[in-house]
Amino acid sequence: MEVMLQALALLLEPYTLMVILLASFFGLFVGSMPGLTATMATALLVPVTFFMAPVPAIAAVVAASAMAIFAGDIPGALLRIPGTPASAAYTDEAYAMTRKGEGEMALGAGVTCSVFGGLFGAAALMFFAPPLAELALKFSSFEYFWLSCLGLACAILVAPGSAVKSTISLLFGLLIACVGIDSMTGYTRFTFGYVQLTGGLSLIPVLVGMYAVAEIIRYAITIDAPITIAQKKIGNIFAGQIPMMWKYKVGIMRGNVVGTLIGALPGAGADIAAWVSYAMSKKFSKEPEKFGTGHVEGIAEAGAANNSALGGAYVPATVFGIPGDSITAIVIGVLYMKGMNPGPTIFIRNPELIYAVFLSFILANLMMLPLGWIAIKSAKQVLSVPRSILMPIILMFCLVGSFAIDNTVFAVTVMLIFGVIGFLMEENGIPIAPAVLGLVLGPLIENNFITSMMKAEGNFLPFFERPIAGVLGVVTILVWLAPLAVWLWRRSQGHRAAVRA
Amino acid sequence: MMRRHILSLAAGAALMFGLAPAAEAAWPERPVTIIVPAAAGGGTDATGRLLAKQLQDIFKQPFNVVNQGQAGGVVGHTNIATARPDGYTIGVIYPYAQYKLLGQADITRDMFQPVAQFNFDPAGFHAPANTPHKTLKEALAAIKANPSKFKIGCGGPCGGSWDIPVSGLFIDQGIDTKQITFIPSNGAAVSLQELAAGGLDFVTASAPEAKALIEAGKVHPLVVMSDDRIPAFPNIAPVKEQIGKTFEGGAWRGVAGPKGLPQDIVQSLEKALKQIYDSAEFRDAMTARGFGMRWRTSGEFTAFLKEHEEFTARIMTALNMVKK
Repeated sequence: MEVMLQALALLLEPYTLMVILLASFFGLFVGSMPGLTATMATALLVPVTFFMAPVPAIAAVVAASAMAIFAGDIPGALLRIPGTPASAAYTDEAYAMTRKGEGEMALGAGVTCSVFGGLFGAAALMFFAPPLAELALKFSSFEYFWLSCLGLACAILVAPGSAVKSTISLLFGLLIACVGIDSMTGYTRFTFGYVQLTGGLSLIPVLVGMYAVAEIIRYAITIDAPITIAQKKIGNIFAGQIPMMWKYKVGIMRGNVVGTLIGALPGAGADIAAWVSYAMSKKFSKEPEKFGTGHVEGIAEAGAANNSALGGAYVPATVFGIPGDSITAIVIGVLYMKGMNPGPTIFIRNPELIYAVFLSFILANLMMLPLGWIAIKSAKQVLSVPRSILMPIILMFCLVGSFAIDNTVFAVTVMLIFGVIGFLMEENGIPIAPAVLGLVLGPLIENNFITSMMKAEGNFLPFFERPIAGVLGVVTILVWLAPLAVWLWRRSQGHRAAVRA
Repeated sequence: MMRRHILSLAAGAALMFGLAPAAEAAWPERPVTIIVPAAAGGGTDATGRLLAKQLQDIFKQPFNVVNQGQAGGVVGHTNIATARPDGYTIGVIYPYAQYKLLGQADITRDMFQPVAQFNFDPAGFHAPANTPHKTLKEALAAIKANPSKFKIGCGGPCGGSWDIPVSGLFIDQGIDTKQITFIPSNGAAVSLQELAAGGLDFVTASAPEAKALIEAGKVHPLVVMSDDRIPAFPNIAPVKEQIGKTFEGGAWRGVAGPKGLPQDIVQSLEKALKQIYDSAEFRDAMTARGFGMRWRTSGEFTAFLKEHEEFTARIMTALNMVKK
């Protein structure tokens, strides 16, 4: 308890609070810009933290990344452009709500569920970090392989409409994930001798192109009859949030738990947590038919999941020095720099420092309520800007964001090309979300499959030999076969009925 | 050819506008780009940013770090080597010889003007905590007796900074390395996680990368590939103490520009880097991150790159890893 008080005193120093506030505004700005991600907000903060004491340095990163993940929801709901990849899973849903005139509910759910998820992740980190980290350390390539296969099933579950078209989109995503040097064997694939392609197609330019540029093209060709008039005004975003959260309490809790666990697994972060939670929400919902038409249930669950994943990612990072996601990969460097070396000793050597970091999670999430409100208040102004002015400005941000991610003009070209591809796909009723998920999961599946096959010397049995892998494998295969079994059963029932008639 | 044309055009333009070629003496008169062939936030990025900050203080011009970590550094190294050699694009380089041997990109020392090396981290060799092989000698004996039984994680793509020196030690000890299964990964953290999860027998990675897991009692370090004990890990015996042979290898980082970088720029950069290297600020920051310090002058670094290419080629040939 004394340690907690010391930690609180460290956190409540005016300088630290000032840093957290500035970092929060920075995170909100970066997160709401299409193409600039929470990871990038963290990376940009690192040189600034060189000159700070340990607690403000880490608290700045915590605050900026939490705000950025939430802020990614804002352009998603207002413009159908996810601010960060972690919001991509439910961007369509949030935008559909805004078009229906329920923008307050979509944005409000984004804030309140993000806060709730963030607090849950922080609590899990404070009280269960060592056992959770032990669990995460039991995952080898076999377990990861099955987990990413389950993720693939999400792609088909989340997409509304035709399963065949979703599958086409998913396969396209997996195909473009193959471009570049294969990190396992070192062979170059689909690069046509072009050095810029050896790095593969980065997620951000593809994501920004497929969502934002496609939207701009759609606007450009429908200039006479603007079909995408979203809601003009956003009212009180906190109205009706408590009944909503109470109604979906089970789903939000599930989102918290799933988000924390996925965050704690090294290699999977907030992006994947949001996809999985959105798919689970739809699967377990009492009204799955409403998904995709502007229904808040999935936004609440996935919005909680992506913020709780942030806290979860610090679990293996602080206990074992193994990053839980791309943000903590950077944070570990900062921890070393500040003499707070990750490892079990971090809780013994300077517990007040690490608890101050954990408390900064709670503080940052509480600050999200007022700051999120301010951010939404100012962002909603974009709805009153004429689209003929707004669209070119968005395009400019997309160009800057894509360039910033790899510092190459090539990334800008990739973004523009994928804008056209995304536009053509949607015009033909092919959803783009599964393609984005394919690009996220492709390398994960392939790397873990090849690693597993090398370890197993080409034998398939070891994929089921370890206890966790065995369970995950069976569950995955059941999820894949279930629709087939249902179809066969219905067919035989129908056949019997026909015979009886 | 094309580049030379552009250069002479630029020179002509400079003369026309009255900018004497002597302006070179005043390098840098505009911001300098430092290409870091690694993603933002990693170790190479941290060292690049440390250098950039202090170079900026010395030369009173911005030194901007540009991260190009795509394709495991191929893109960044290529862009350093093919930049215009005017001193306004330099970069941090690290072991690159495997790119050419793996058929990924034709990058050789002829394309660089080395300025100075500032870092060396010896490779390490680690086993899980419950390993029956508690010392390097025992591990080497077990691998020699039955090489096909062992799976070794490379701590990154195979053919990198860690597995190549360790393979060199194996070959020296008469182990049939072709029978060992080497498992690549996306970085040391992934391999070490596999090791702790029970999926691998050994992992090659640096000691600082494994530090947290060593302290947690999940990983048992066997050796560091250097002559002397490293200060941050006084309990890990180096190769020389364990088998009585000098064997050093691992990752290094240095500053280089494209071939043809004017000698006066090389000299003033080298001088500034030496000043930074000797500063307490740089040493403290490097030590805090667990990075080893090693200084090589422009000339020594140039000679070392030749050694690096030859050693990597010899080991990768012995491992059957060379493509084409």
